Amino acid sequence: MKPILAAGLALLALVCSASAFAQSKNLAPGFQSLPKGAKVAIMPTDIELFVISAGGVVEPKADWTEAASKHFKDALNRKEQALGFTPIELSAKQAEEADDINALHGAISRAIAMHHFGPLKLPTKDGKLDWSMGDSVQPIKQATGADYALFSFVRDSYASGERKAAMVAIAILTLGRAALALGSQSGYASLVDLNTGRVVWFNQLQRATGDLREPESAAETLDALLSEFPLAK
Amino acid sequence: MNRRRFLAASCGGCAGLVPGFGFGQSDWSAPARFARPEAASDEGGLWAMMDREESRLRRSPFTLRDAQFTAYIQDIACRLGGEHCPDIRVHVMRTPFFNASMAPNGMMQVWTGLLLRVENEAQLAAVLGHEIGHYMGRHSLDSLREARSRSAAAQVMGLFGLVGLVGQLGIAASMMSYSRENEREADRIGLLLMHKAGYATDEAAKVWRDLQLELKERPDGGARNPLFATHPAPEDRQQELATLAATFQGGGTNAAEWQKRVQPFLRDWLVEEVKRGQHEETIALLTRLARDIPSRPEYLVARGETYRLRGAREDLDKAIADYTMAVAVEGVPAEAYRGLGMIQRLRDQPAEARTNLLRYLELAPQAPDAAMIKSYVEELKS
Amino acid sequence: MRNLLIVVILAALSGCATVNKMESGSQNIGERMTLTLDGAWNHVALPGQGPAQTWTMEGLPVDVLLVYSGLKDGQAIHRATSSGQKSFNFRASMQPDEIVGLFEGFLTRDGSQFQMTKLEPANFGGEKGFRFEYALTRKVDGVTLSGMGYSTVSRGELFALVYQAPRLTFFSRHKERVEQIARSAQVKT
Repeated sequence: MKPILAAGLALLALVCSASAFAQSKNLAPGFQSLPKGAKVAIMPTDIELFVISAGGVVEPKADWTEAASKHFKDALNRKEQALGFTPIELSAKQAEEADDINALHGAISRAIAMHHFGPLKLPTKDGKLDWSMGDSVQPIKQATGADYALFSFVRDSYASGERKAAMVAIAILTLGRAALALGSQSGYASLVDLNTGRVVWFNQLQRATGDLREPESAAETLDALLSEFPLAK
Repeated sequence: MNRRRFLAASCGGCAGLVPGFGFGQSDWSAPARFARPEAASDEGGLWAMMDREESRLRRSPFTLRDAQFTAYIQDIACRLGGEHCPDIRVHVMRTPFFNASMAPNGMMQVWTGLLLRVENEAQLAAVLGHEIGHYMGRHSLDSLREARSRSAAAQVMGLFGLVGLVGQLGIAASMMSYSRENEREADRIGLLLMHKAGYATDEAAKVWRDLQLELKERPDGGARNPLFATHPAPEDRQQELATLAATFQGGGTNAAEWQKRVQPFLRDWLVEEVKRGQHEETIALLTRLARDIPSRPEYLVARGETYRLRGAREDLDKAIADYTMAVAVEGVPAEAYRGLGMIQRLRDQPAEARTNLLRYLELAPQAPDAAMIKSYVEELKS
Repeated sequence: MRNLLIVVILAALSGCATVNKMESGSQNIGERMTLTLDGAWNHVALPGQGPAQTWTMEGLPVDVLLVYSGLKDGQAIHRATSSGQKSFNFRASMQPDEIVGLFEGFLTRDGSQFQMTKLEPANFGGEKGFRFEYALTRKVDGVTLSGMGYSTVSRGELFALVYQAPRLTFFSRHKERVEQIARSAQVKT
């Protein structure tokens, strides 16, 4: 999802429905927490960092993205201990083969962002986190033997120095919503039950802070993404 | 420009190695293979991004997945690249636009729209050689450096990205990533590589001439056409190419082999081309192809389909003429009979319509629209 | 994507987009068509959208059901486009393959690739019409969708249902319900 679109959705959410976030639930009905020692396949994070130039153009920054991928992965490795599950990493080949499933999960995540956390609630979902990928995730289960899969997605944009200066005036015009214009971090983390295909946990991140370019702040972003993670009890 | 002078100054006896200085056939030799740059450098960042785009490309549903055919195109690129062969990786992308591009990390994209338009290996070699010329001359870095402070940097990246980025409407020729100078250099290197690989260099100018013919059919003369996105073809450029080509002697085109290799894909590529809905351009293209390769009825049938689709006054007659000519040639695609039958059905010629539609069903019983056509045949009986 | 952002912001400013529940039972669509639903659907109404109604079960990025009722000769099958962009206009004289061509053109505007896999005569709304199936490779994320449509032209107006969802798991999940809706359709002559 392009950062500007994510920002636009967030803006819409803010304007349309004050209670939207207050009522968000991150857990699917009937799911409380991971069983202890559960095996979780770690899907490769879909991550991309951008710079916003003075002219407002968003450009991808390959070296930032390289660094961020590494920091994020390191942070995730350290966190897994604390989260109490057994991580199973996919080999490069397995990751490539799961591409279809990854792309499909991306579409479902956009649907959850738009229709569960966002303002366009679907009456038939009855306010519940009720999405399932069905048997499409079977290949991951077969390849890794895991019971769950953790997907994550991060888009982050940073204002260049010149841009920051220009944004001060615009901050006034947008009544304090300048945070979105300065650069924003958006992402999600999602836990899928590989036996049923259900998305059992989903957390969305949309904020104006955070910096994935440095290891410590990357760890903080990961913490934010995995906040309320259904820890094994 | 400054780099060139610097190089010339620091390299007393190698004026001939510097492009633009007395560029003769014997003077130029290809640079040595490139090493992977430092991750933190300009080029390193570009390289890493290209690697990631390339793995996406490999997995993209738009990639043509035929190992044998891809190997054939790879082989042509390889022979052109000489010592750089191991660094060149060809990806054939299914999209009906004329384009080929080569990223600084060696990733080469060849679009099926290009493969439809060239008539022989030499013409393809002209375009691929040109791209390899950009690669050897490191032109993408020049462009990136120049564009750095402007949003054009994103477009430079976009040009090497997934198929369709360039094909999107609205991308003007002015978003070209290479300077005129670099284009000229790539043209010259391309011709040299063509010649070294044994191809007739006079085929190069034909590619641009034919493209020009196609594009001038548009009301805006092709100004905002995606076909121009990376290869604008002004008149003087064609002239330069023709003049330079004349200095090379000999070489072949391998036309027969080329036609044999693309034949299995022709139908699909032609359907995609007609679907573009740019009728005037398509008609110009197919007229040229049908004239130059009369043994392949596919081009006539596709032109018939285009006329039938456009359906302006006199178009249906033109379509009938094309289909009729095509069915006289061996190996005519079944669509010719469907086209005839559909027009005759419209014109209240039930007997002729039935005959032709039945012939279509006979030749293509598994066609997606077989059930629909069958119902028309039933209707026409009564 | 850019267009969606603009629409979404406009929705925010002008009074929000809404999602209405289409309950089981009889639903009137436009002046001349009735559908009988067995199970509820979600009707997403974005301002400025049209002329079709947009329904979904799993959310717009996943599955979409377009419902056309009484589209007139010369009308586009989509919202008005910015100048320069090609418009796909329905003509009452169109043959089935041309109508499919309209949807194909519209669905591939963003560079997606469309392949019709079946076209056959079928009853729709109590009239003689046609049914088609297709595969769509979506440009924006490379997801392959399966699609199907039912359509008829009655008194020069277009009536149609077009449903698409990811080929993996999702299309087969709701396909039968769409077939049932199509069978239930009634077009007033």
